[in-house]
Amino acid sequence: MKRVDIMRRAARNLRQAKGRTLLTSLAIAVGAFTIAVSLAAGEGARQYADKLIKSNVDPQSVFVTREPMNDAAAMTGGLRKYSENSGDYGGVSMEMLTADDVATLKTIPGVDQVRPTYLISTQFVTFEGIEQRYTSDVTVYDPTVLATVAAGTLPALGEQIGADEAVIPESYANTLGKKPSELVGTTITLTLVKAGKVPTEAETQEAMLRGGVEAVKALYAQETREVPLTIRAVSAQSSTSFSASTAVFISDVKAEDLSNWLTEGTDQYQRYISATVIVAKSADVTEVKDSIKDKGFSAMTAQDISGMIFTMVNVLQGIVTGFGVLALIASVFGIINTQYISVLERTSQIGLMKALGMPGKGVGKLFRYEAAWIGCIGGVIGVLLAFGIGTAMNPWITEVLTLGEGNSLLIFVWWQNIALVIGLMLVAIVAGWFPSRKAAKLDPIEALRTE
Amino acid sequence: MIEVKNVTKVYGKKAQAFTALGGVSFTIPDGASVAIVGKSGSGKSTLMHVMSGLDRATSGEIRIGGENILTLKQKKVDAFRSEQMSFIFQSFFVQGNESCYNNVALPLEIAQVPRRARREKIESALAAVQLLDKKRAKAKDLSGGQRQRLAIARAIVNDPKILFADEPTGNLDSTTGEVIEQLLFSYNKRRKATLIVVTHDHDLAQKCDIQIYIKDGHIDTIERHKEKATTADKRPLSARRIML
Repeated sequence: MKRVDIMRRAARNLRQAKGRTLLTSLAIAVGAFTIAVSLAAGEGARQYADKLIKSNVDPQSVFVTREPMNDAAAMTGGLRKYSENSGDYGGVSMEMLTADDVATLKTIPGVDQVRPTYLISTQFVTFEGIEQRYTSDVTVYDPTVLATVAAGTLPALGEQIGADEAVIPESYANTLGKKPSELVGTTITLTLVKAGKVPTEAETQEAMLRGGVEAVKALYAQETREVPLTIRAVSAQSSTSFSASTAVFISDVKAEDLSNWLTEGTDQYQRYISATVIVAKSADVTEVKDSIKDKGFSAMTAQDISGMIFTMVNVLQGIVTGFGVLALIASVFGIINTQYISVLERTSQIGLMKALGMPGKGVGKLFRYEAAWIGCIGGVIGVLLAFGIGTAMNPWITEVLTLGEGNSLLIFVWWQNIALVIGLMLVAIVAGWFPSRKAAKLDPIEALRTE
Repeated sequence: MIEVKNVTKVYGKKAQAFTALGGVSFTIPDGASVAIVGKSGSGKSTLMHVMSGLDRATSGEIRIGGENILTLKQKKVDAFRSEQMSFIFQSFFVQGNESCYNNVALPLEIAQVPRRARREKIESALAAVQLLDKKRAKAKDLSGGQRQRLAIARAIVNDPKILFADEPTGNLDSTTGEVIEQLLFSYNKRRKATLIVVTHDHDLAQKCDIQIYIKDGHIDTIERHKEKATTADKRPLSARRIML
């Protein structure tokens, strides 16, 4: 019997037992659905993470800290070695980079620039013509990633904004109740308060003698500084950019100036929690990273970050796929059971086919093809369901997870799904192997004696 | 020519051994109609199975057209059966859920007849048993007589040289049975095919050229005489169909 004839007969046999075929396929469909969704979610998560990193991190940059970020002791707060360079950041004590470290980093071949991370805390910020004081974070404008603007203009990629210029996020304009275009060209004033160093007893006495209570008050008074900046642009809200909506952007020159002023005289002076090394276009990022590591720093490239995220996505995807595989294993027994019953029911048919000269191999093939059809139907149902539900749910998921317009969590890749269906057909054929062997070995005389 | 030489068939082993056929020999010329007659348990069905290669004889020789099928490999025997032989059973064994067309197509598919050549063969086989108008009907919707006619169409579609019929009229009333007999003998005469009928119906056996009587796994008697039965009903088949 030719393959195509066997396939047609197998399909007809299944059509004649519609209910049973459908129920058996549905068991596979459950597994297929789960796996299809996990594949789609993994693909979506990877694409989203990739987009996220690309719009936040320059691929030519290396993120440098004094010690590994994922240091177990740093995370769990265990007993740690004392270092006079250590500083507190986000409740975690970590060793800081010093000015010497920055100088060391600059000597590494291939390093184009070293940008220390300046921490600038403002007391408050005020906007031109508005009484209300606001609080805001201040960050250095990253010239390597071009943000979209709601109003105003940004310098070309790779160029810093001017020392007296600032970029504010669109959300600020919303809070102020103004249009972004109205804010461009106006002044934003940052008010900084220097913690200063605590005067010694001798200094206090000296001041007392010199100018009485007023002089002591002046000595203890905190120094404040007002920094007026012109708003150059209002950056548009971006779903993939981390920092765009959270802080006022200033130039690196200004940031260094302010940071130095704020920490002057304290132990935090010229100490940085991290630095970003920009690798020259001609140099290899990985090589530079390795030489930075050789100097005793901890370094991470954009690739490392995406690698970390991808590993996490893969683990999660693996777990979901595991559930799908479990469902498939259950469905395999369903196929075996159904096909065994089918063999018993069709004993006389098998006997007749053998009497008419069909070899046992052909009979076995007929039952395996039926199993393959069941796998195919189940796979297609599962994949189509996953695709339908996934496509329908995507806008909602995007909204709930605030992924931002144009991003979807579930991305279906056609070749993955075709491979999945083919894989399920193979699984079904394997499951159908036992019943098909029984059919192939059936004694035709015994078979024809029934009825 | 079919030569059966000293064929034995033993089921089971040692103490449980049961001899179904104990040294059977006879010859059937091509184109003859043969009745194998015996009571149930006499070994007549076993003889048919052994002759058709469905079952392997324990010893002896079965030569069909000079070839000893007992020395052939199973694959060759299967191919031999699909090209040269066909079967009709007491309980029809038509596939109820398949259309008449697809029931008749089965032997052609097994014999790997090309798709294009099938249609004509199937339609002429269905026409021969007056079932062409039921081509698309499901076999389960047919009456008993129609089912057996369908089984005959299936049996003759690939032009077999040997046609085995195991109690072909056993499940049918006498009028319907007669039509079936008529169809079998007409194929036998028209195509010069050997017809081997296994039966315990003496009337049917008398219509055959040769009667082989089997008793307890041995040949009791072999009668060879020209029957008179085929002349018994001279009405054309179409006229008799009305009675079905």
